[in-house]
Amino acid sequence: MKKKTIAAFLVLVFASHDVWAFCGFYVSKADGTLTNKTSQVILVRDGDRTVITMSNDFKGDVTDFAMVVPVPTVLKKSDIKVVEADLFQRLNDYSKPRLVEYYDQNPCQQMEYSKMDKASASEVIVQGYGLRNKANRDEEEYKVKVEATYTVGEYDIVILSAEESGGLYKWLTANKYKIPKGAAEVLEPYIKSNMKFFVVKVNVEEQENLGFEQLRPIQIKFNSPKFMLPIRLGMANADGDQDMIVYALTRNGRVESTNYRTTQMPTGKNIPLFVNTNFGNFYANTFQHQWLQQNQSILFLEYAWDVSPSNYMKCDPCVSEPPNYDDLLKAGVWWLGKDAYNDYVNQYETKSQNVFFTRLHVRYNRKAFAQDLVFQETPNRENYQARYIITHPATGDLNCEAGKKYLKELKERRKKEMDMLAALTGKGYDDWDVVMDTDEAANVAAASYATVSREVKAEAPKKEAGKDIFMASLALLSMVTMIGVTRRRKEK
Amino acid sequence: MDAAPKPTDARYFQMAFQLLFLSYGILFLQWKAAWMEYSLYIGTGLLMQWAADSITSKKIISPLHWSSGGWKSALVSCFSLCLLLKTNRWYICVLAAALTVLSKYIFRYKGKHIFNPSAFGIVATILITKEAWLSPAQWGSGIVIFFAVCCLGLIVVTRVQKLDITLAFLFTFTGLLFTRQIIYLNWSFDVFVQSVSTGSLLLFSFFMISDPKTAPNHKAARIIWAVLIAAVAFYLSAFKWMNSTPIYVLVFAAPLVPILDWLMKAKRFEWHSTKSLPISKQSITQRI
Repeated sequence: MKKKTIAAFLVLVFASHDVWAFCGFYVSKADGTLTNKTSQVILVRDGDRTVITMSNDFKGDVTDFAMVVPVPTVLKKSDIKVVEADLFQRLNDYSKPRLVEYYDQNPCQQMEYSKMDKASASEVIVQGYGLRNKANRDEEEYKVKVEATYTVGEYDIVILSAEESGGLYKWLTANKYKIPKGAAEVLEPYIKSNMKFFVVKVNVEEQENLGFEQLRPIQIKFNSPKFMLPIRLGMANADGDQDMIVYALTRNGRVESTNYRTTQMPTGKNIPLFVNTNFGNFYANTFQHQWLQQNQSILFLEYAWDVSPSNYMKCDPCVSEPPNYDDLLKAGVWWLGKDAYNDYVNQYETKSQNVFFTRLHVRYNRKAFAQDLVFQETPNRENYQARYIITHPATGDLNCEAGKKYLKELKERRKKEMDMLAALTGKGYDDWDVVMDTDEAANVAAASYATVSREVKAEAPKKEAGKDIFMASLALLSMVTMIGVTRRRKEK
Repeated sequence: MDAAPKPTDARYFQMAFQLLFLSYGILFLQWKAAWMEYSLYIGTGLLMQWAADSITSKKIISPLHWSSGGWKSALVSCFSLCLLLKTNRWYICVLAAALTVLSKYIFRYKGKHIFNPSAFGIVATILITKEAWLSPAQWGSGIVIFFAVCCLGLIVVTRVQKLDITLAFLFTFTGLLFTRQIIYLNWSFDVFVQSVSTGSLLLFSFFMISDPKTAPNHKAARIIWAVLIAAVAFYLSAFKWMNSTPIYVLVFAAPLVPILDWLMKAKRFEWHSTKSLPISKQSITQRI
């Protein structure tokens, strides 16, 4: 099978994310090349407590790495941890959109099966799509107060509070941080909202001692009613779109945004078999299309599931191992156990085994996302997964009455699949290269995608009438109102 | 203060616009159309209203001759529930609709019900069961819906003569928001625009706080009341980081209305249909 325009488009989409990302901004100490792809955040929240784990996929000279994140409180040393990077890999693998494969049975043989024995249900194979986963002079002169300095793992951490943004900007510049243009004006609202600044750079000596090649994720925890992610700073000098995946772990139910619409990705859709070889591509296009259709200012739900250790069915079907008790503890779910987070758990607090997982995918830019992301936890425990279905045709000889009927149905079904593919990705039929594979040629030639594709193209394109009907009824209602009002007036 | 005779009951328009918003959400904002919840809200609401009407009039009203007007109010309240309150459990729907309608009969002072029925139903259900929630961002902040809600809402409120509450609330709330976000915190202007162009805020101002039956009778009292609600709601959302504050504040501020009515006396609002007939004392208490 060939790939064509779609692949080129995908590269474009991903390439544009290689700018600044993350809730804070990466600052460079020199003019090194900074690369930062889709950022990932684990957000653990219950009551007024938040634990945020930020993935760090910085590539380049570590001496150039620096990060500034606005935080609501001055963090203690025990509030800061460094965790293993594979935690993100596990959560991503577990929750990413998935492709499910089903196999049709040969109706000619099936009849014989049914005579002998009930045939087993369709075999299910699961495949996920790949996200690019690796993807005191100060106080007087700058009106900046260094609240604390720590070395945690391979990082040197400074927590700053400032009185005015100019001073903070100067402090950062004087301390050889290269601040992106436009950051200063965003710093001011944070300072005035009484936020502190969590400034991180790499302690090269410690890093060598520890022997880690890659920079590990940083985990911070704090008590504050603010349940938000400050994305504005990350957009200080970014033009273009950035992606962020939020893995939220809460006690009661789904997390949603309170200042941007949160919606589900279309799910459970039957799509053509040839997507099989290119699922990542398909999903990237689907995401982009849905995002544009929904006017960009939107968060997409990609996964929601009860992952409480007591819940046995943590996914259906599972793409990979669901997060286990240890993973959840590492992610910072403090209410699961007292031992691991002794410093953090109020001893009078009731222990609970409930954990709900929400995966949100947001593609943001300065224009569509003026505000930081604010969240709320809802009691909605409904499971959800972004899941797409492909169905393999039956194999073998189909030359029987039922077989002919099957081929006819197969053709209709594939027409629908093609339509669905176009609706989901917004790509025309011509954008997909549909080439028969050998199995198809042998068995279901009459209903092959190539044939179906030609027929679908020949048919007149279907136009969505929903919006028109809605606008018409709106106009009609206004008209009736107007007529009613004027007539009554006249009568009077 | 007496309103001119209204040709058609404003509640018909309210219902039509609520239905329109609901279909907009389902068709274009990809809301999950929860038909079961919707029918439970409406079914329970109407049933409760019918039962209450039957009890107050001391006879079983035949649904065919049910003309007290109560069903219109019940339907408007139930549509509000459909638009705002989310839940996954059927019994929560029943409870919410029952609380909404019955609150009109349980919490009364001098022949006037104290709470805005749907606001009370929503807040009480959320606080009691913790199984229901509001999605303040469900409308997004598209500018088109901003205009639609404004214009449509305007018609409804002007027709029932209570634009003063809506404007007082909106001016105070957005004014405080502007002062904090733009003047004090120095955010860029689009941050403010996004805050005020949410459908939830507009829907609240045009369809909920403007309810003439639960607002103070005197014009000055209404304005004071709306400003107070806006100020407290703003404080809680900006400094305490709470969500959907206006609706909570509206419910908790409701007991102030009898006090304001006592301090500032004025004629009470009545829904008018077809012609303004002289209303006897008895019929006021029957029409709820």
